[in-house]
Amino acid sequence: MDLVVYSLKKLYKIFRNEVLVLPSRVIVALFFIALLGLPLVTRDPYIIRIVILTSIFAIFAASWDLLSGFTGQMNFGHALFFGVGAYSSALINLHAHIPPWGSVPLGAIAAVLAGLIVGIPCLRLKHTYLALTTLAFPIILTGIIFALPDYTGGELGVSGITRFTNSLLGNYYLHVVTMLTLAVIMWKITDSNTGIIFHAIREDELAVKASGINTTFYKLLAFSLSGLFAGIAGGLYAHYMRIAGPSTLEVSMSFMVVIWAIFGGAATIYGPIAAVFILFPLLEFFRFWPEYRTMIFAAVVLVILLYMPEGIIHWIRDKIEKECPRCKIRNVATRKSCRICTADLD
Amino acid sequence: MAEPLLQVESLSKSFGGLKAVDDVSFRMEQKEVLGLIGPNGAGKTTLLRLITGILKPDRGSVRFKGKELVGRSIWNIVNLGVACTFQNMRPFRRMPIIANVMVSCLSPRSSTRGEWVKKIENKAMDALEFAGISDMALEKASVLSQGDLKRLEVARAIATDPELLLLDEPFGGLSPAETDLMAKSIRRLHKGGRFGRLHSEGPAMIIVEHKLHQLMKIVDRIIVLNFGTLLDEGTPEEVVNNPRVIEAYLGKGGD
Ligand SMILES: Nc1ncnc2c1ncn2[C@@H]1O[C@H](COP(=O)(O)OP(=O)(O)O)[C@@H](O)[C@H]1O
Ligand SMILES: [Mg+2]
Repeated sequence: MDLVVYSLKKLYKIFRNEVLVLPSRVIVALFFIALLGLPLVTRDPYIIRIVILTSIFAIFAASWDLLSGFTGQMNFGHALFFGVGAYSSALINLHAHIPPWGSVPLGAIAAVLAGLIVGIPCLRLKHTYLALTTLAFPIILTGIIFALPDYTGGELGVSGITRFTNSLLGNYYLHVVTMLTLAVIMWKITDSNTGIIFHAIREDELAVKASGINTTFYKLLAFSLSGLFAGIAGGLYAHYMRIAGPSTLEVSMSFMVVIWAIFGGAATIYGPIAAVFILFPLLEFFRFWPEYRTMIFAAVVLVILLYMPEGIIHWIRDKIEKECPRCKIRNVATRKSCRICTADLD
Repeated sequence: MAEPLLQVESLSKSFGGLKAVDDVSFRMEQKEVLGLIGPNGAGKTTLLRLITGILKPDRGSVRFKGKELVGRSIWNIVNLGVACTFQNMRPFRRMPIIANVMVSCLSPRSSTRGEWVKKIENKAMDALEFAGISDMALEKASVLSQGDLKRLEVARAIATDPELLLLDEPFGGLSPAETDLMAKSIRRLHKGGRFGRLHSEGPAMIIVEHKLHQLMKIVDRIIVLNFGTLLDEGTPEEVVNNPRVIEAYLGKGGD
């Protein structure tokens, strides 16, 4: 009994010292709690469905950020990985009768291969050429899919695949917990030494090489990891919607992910995720006025990009927190002195 | 004769019709400090870039400890023990200064050579300390002055633990006081020893520089480039008294 009380006290202490000190961490904690607790408040199938799809696209957006936000390899054809993940897991599920637990990871591996196939020719490309080349890949795959309707279902896509589970709550927690887990993993990757190298590649690739780093390896690693996470998102999408169709490869999918990431703030992982959680439900909400939907959406995005070039999350964070000029630790904006080194904050 | 540390043979590189480096040959011994001088546009930077693999030569060979460097990738050459700095500094601007150096510490060469250093942060910090900018470790590289960027270049290069260090105008754009500091650091590095957790064997160096009177205090030998070709080679005194060198410079750069 004492042990339990002791552990709880300790947990509370960690929570108080590590989470409650910074508004941004409080928000992240609230986000986790809200997502995990939502079914206690409502089990409306419509809302549950939107949150599930939002979670899937959040994984997708974060995976773009891992590649393009961090290493600066602008991928304008990110839908390729999503589509390859969706189609592969759907076909594996349909023909090999492997349940989603197996087909989604296998589909993700296919997306890793796609990442390498795109990554290798892109190693030597930069800027516009890289953008145009990546843009072409999903279009080429769409062409192949239309050319082989016997295997791919052509325009109709691959349907008749199984779901993970038919339970509303089961599906909800599966997708939400997967999203939260993958988000933490992706954030951890970018926060590691590998993340430092990714970041440095974005800044100056030649200088990274001159530091003795094999940039080819790290760029391909970024392409593969990005493909892996986007492929998981695609597989989840296919099994949840019970169809993998050519819409997963559409140019608009590729552009959407770029908009999400830049809206939220590139090279943060949490920025794009937050952006999807703001923009995707908003887009659903505007469904009530279909004639204005796209226009309002475009206006919101434009305003953000014009006034918050680093993304909305950075903008908010700079309002509620400030960085200590001396030790670079973040503090609540209301504090007068740094919580670690007590330096003056103004 | 013992194998030289570096042997450059008939190295040539043209840009279009311009022969930037034309049939250059020289050799360097272990621990030697070599000055590389010549008027602007003589091909000094190009020569360094050929050695480090940033540029591929049209002809010729570069052997480092008996290994051919031509055809290898830049990072491969760095991991063999040849590090360089960039004349017009290329920091990772939006990253903290310490992270700039951590990238070098993450190279295979650096990470196997200080195995007993658990945290690469510590190693990076020692490189910064050596270069004299450790007090700004957490600032973004974009806030650094010209002089401090030069130091960052040096810190990044020595963090790879080189056996041959190529410095491209380490005093370029520095004030006299900063120049003295940098010269002191270079001499200290060459002497070798422990700098915190950083261990220097005292690398051999090629130093490209215009400030001849500073350079002469550091180097053992000087080679002179003019229009891409080797004009002269000898001790600092021999070189500065050679009429052809004086003529090539026409008073420019030297003092
Ligand atoms: N990448 C390049 N493309 C074309 N010309 C170049 C390039 N790099 C250098 N040059 C030319 O080669 C010559 C030698 O340049 P450089 O090696 O930078 O001289 P230095 O460092 O001795 O001042 C110069 O005329 C320069 O204009
Ligand atoms: Mg030069």
